[in-house]
Amino acid sequence: MSFWRSSFARCGLIVAVLLAGLGTCWADPRTSNLWWLPENATEGGVYIDQLIYFILFLTGAVFVLTQAVYIFFIIKYRAKKGVRATYSHGNNRLEIIWTAIPTAIFIGLWGYSNHLWWDVLHSTPPANALQVGVAAYQFGFSFQYPGADGKLGKADANFVSNDNMFGNDPDDPDAKDNFTSSTLEIPVNRAVHIRLDSKDVIHAFYVPQFRVYQDILPGRIIDWVWFTPTKIGKFQLACSQLCGSGHYNMKADIQVVSEADFEKWYQEKAKAVQPQPGAKLSSITETKDQ
Amino acid sequence: MSQTIAHSGAEAHAETVHHHELSFFHKYIWSEDHKTIAIQYLFASFFFLIIGGLLAMGVRYQLAFSGAPIPLIGTLLPKWLVTDAGAIQPQGYNGLVTMHATVMVFLVMMPLLVGVFGNFLIPLKIGAPDMAFPFFNALSFWLFLVSGIILLSSYFAPTGFPAAGWTAYAPLSANGAYNGSQAGQSLWCIGLFLNGLASIAGAVNYITTVINMRAPGMKMFRLPLPVWAIFITSILLLLAVPVLSAAAAMLFFDLNFGTSFFEASHYGQPLLWQHLFWFFGHPEVYILVLPAMGLVSEMLAVFSRKPIFGYKAMVYAMVAIGFLGFIVWGHHMFVSGMNLMLSSTFSLSTMVIAVPSAIKTFNWLGTVWGGSIRFTTPMCFALAFVSMFVIGGLSGIYMASTPVDLFIHHTYFIVAHFHYVIFGGSLFGVFGAIYFWFPKMFGRMMNEFWGKVHFVLSFMFFNLTFFPMHNLGLNGMPRRIADPGLYDFLKSQQPLQIFVSLSAFGLGLSTLIFFVNFFYSMFKGPKAPRNPWNSTTLEWTLPSPPGHGNFPVTPTVYNGPYEYSVPGMDQDFLPQNQPAPKTARLAVH
Ligand code: HEM
Ligand SMILES: [Cu+2]
Ligand SMILES: [Cu+2]
Repeated sequence: MSFWRSSFARCGLIVAVLLAGLGTCWADPRTSNLWWLPENATEGGVYIDQLIYFILFLTGAVFVLTQAVYIFFIIKYRAKKGVRATYSHGNNRLEIIWTAIPTAIFIGLWGYSNHLWWDVLHSTPPANALQVGVAAYQFGFSFQYPGADGKLGKADANFVSNDNMFGNDPDDPDAKDNFTSSTLEIPVNRAVHIRLDSKDVIHAFYVPQFRVYQDILPGRIIDWVWFTPTKIGKFQLACSQLCGSGHYNMKADIQVVSEADFEKWYQEKAKAVQPQPGAKLSSITETKDQ
Repeated sequence: MSQTIAHSGAEAHAETVHHHELSFFHKYIWSEDHKTIAIQYLFASFFFLIIGGLLAMGVRYQLAFSGAPIPLIGTLLPKWLVTDAGAIQPQGYNGLVTMHATVMVFLVMMPLLVGVFGNFLIPLKIGAPDMAFPFFNALSFWLFLVSGIILLSSYFAPTGFPAAGWTAYAPLSANGAYNGSQAGQSLWCIGLFLNGLASIAGAVNYITTVINMRAPGMKMFRLPLPVWAIFITSILLLLAVPVLSAAAAMLFFDLNFGTSFFEASHYGQPLLWQHLFWFFGHPEVYILVLPAMGLVSEMLAVFSRKPIFGYKAMVYAMVAIGFLGFIVWGHHMFVSGMNLMLSSTFSLSTMVIAVPSAIKTFNWLGTVWGGSIRFTTPMCFALAFVSMFVIGGLSGIYMASTPVDLFIHHTYFIVAHFHYVIFGGSLFGVFGAIYFWFPKMFGRMMNEFWGKVHFVLSFMFFNLTFFPMHNLGLNGMPRRIADPGLYDFLKSQQPLQIFVSLSAFGLGLSTLIFFVNFFYSMFKGPKAPRNPWNSTTLEWTLPSPPGHGNFPVTPTVYNGPYEYSVPGMDQDFLPQNQPAPKTARLAVH
């Protein structure tokens, strides 16, 4: 008996040490978002979070139930003197039940997920959406805005080069007044429709608070990502696809600002761009953000 | 029990001397005996497990203490890996991550599951003298060893390890100017190509052996589950591995001969690489778990003293996994930029493939239900396998859902997921299987006490290491980032990163207990009887270890593999090679 008591004490000690270790993880309380999901900052993110909670509930229930039954069996059916195991090869009715129920649940979950995938996350962006080009390269991002005319113009992966990172069509006048920025400035509560391309290898557009992730491919322009930020503030865009020696530090700042602040910033940038008639596009896209 | 154990020393000796003496070279180096080859695979995988483990320790050191010089050995490491002060540098970190995974997948788990247990168990369990093609079997091992040496040799190249991830996404991997490790990446292609040949030679052998060399009475539905599992795995290998080999060859051409299969700048297709890689890669993850499922099923039956619950359901579930495994690869590519419609369909097939895994789990619960459970070390690992596999399987559901994957793809959530299935699942299964079949392999028993210590510590540290990774991932931590401290939204995670790393070091250390126990027991462990666990399958009717050529007389099989606790019998197991006594009331099923 005393043996049990002492070994329980020892277990208790180990658990206490581990808890203390975990406790240090609270070192930075409140301001930190160490636990669970980061704060959501887009309209679409709300739905993704709901789905995560739904799956958490579902898988949590399955986990608790199966483990409870399992542990109960393990304790109840431990070897005892003179008790023989039940001789059973199985039960077909049970097999059918525990095949049919998970199948129904999983297909239902697919229906829910697929609805979100199409009808919310990849529906057509609203007409007033802000168009932004995002070019990724080893190792950074650059952003292109439509300029005074509000149009980004046509782009094609075949045009992407060192001089034309966004793949703008040289013959499209809509692109002539585009301006670039090294940070992503976007207005709150307005849809942002991004057009992604890469100059070299695969990168990614990942913003955890936006619940957005998309690989950025060389040789292909991806134009189906859009989101509506709902919170003013500073965020970070991280390249989340291993892209070489500088990958660990490939990021860019995102500023979500009020509609008024955005207009001010945008007009200033747009004014600075004065395309000379016949000027090479490269001289335009080269315009640096101060 | 008395019947099987009664055969004793003298007879065992007689059994081994039918065969001519083999020279040292043919006995230990170029051996064509499947048991020796299994042990060769075992020792080679141990060596690679230690290397892969050290690489993981490097990864965890960097994530917890980035920028701090590695104590003691830091300055001795090559310059591509560390700074002058001895701290890991970003490109070196990319190399560590890449090689950790490559080593663990291709040089540790595949050989442990397929090379060791496929080789050792198939002939012994089906009553065959050896593999169908012993020469190819030996060739397979040596190809595997050479592939491992080639893969690791890039350590000595000035630019070091390949650094494009084990998934080697092109065009990063396809161009030395992009990845900064031309030599390493080229060696990676050659290594995987040879490794593939080894797998193919092995797979052909296993398939042929199982189909053609079963003892009389060993019907397919009397095969023990490990044999079924490895048989199905071999079919997967045969269909999936050539695709990887071809892709690796194409990548090698892109890297060295200026072709442009995957290079977008010359109209190649970056996504083609991902399709080829994951067409192999998804069946591969089942290759990494099916054999463990088979091994665990058997241990659960033996130590619950019960027939497998739903033997046929288990087999059909594995067949279903094998089939469906070929149509779900796109779930690795939901957000890769492929057509969004494909994401929808691959999401559906992925949801469906979760069903057979659920079926297997329920049947494992059914197997322990009503049992008479003996908590030996192998049983502890087998029991843990089920729980860990459930966690890994359930986290898979999150990722099968496209909108959720959109958020957690390429975060630590995925790292947590596959470690639960591969480490907590397959590697725990393998640990259990080593404790279980060690007596048959080496004729001695491993130490139970230290086995339990190993179990408790690795179970605890495993969960402390990998469970928090779910949180890190949901919280926004991307994979393969050498210095998370550079990101505003990751700074707050640092304490948890340190906690995870310390647990990982504990996990690494607890494995040492296993190695000491293993090597000590090999020489000093108590002598093992023929059938230490009172099992029913054929290998336990032979001496420990069995002689060259296995069965002195080809056995005849009368029963299914898991006739435990049959009513009407004194002993609680009915070996497959013994006709049931008149009194036994066997179930017809
Ligand atoms: C002590 C043991 C282990 C530790 C601490 C560990 C740690 C890690 C870490 C931290 C990563 C992620 C690195 C990153 O992406 O930044 C990783 C990746 C990985 N590990 Fe392990 N691991 C261990 C054992 C294993 C085992 C036994 C396997 C068996 C197959 C394995 C397979 C993998 C794979 C496939 C990856 C993916 C790498 C990638 O795609 O980048 N690991 N491991
Ligand atoms: Cu990157
Ligand atoms: Cu997969």
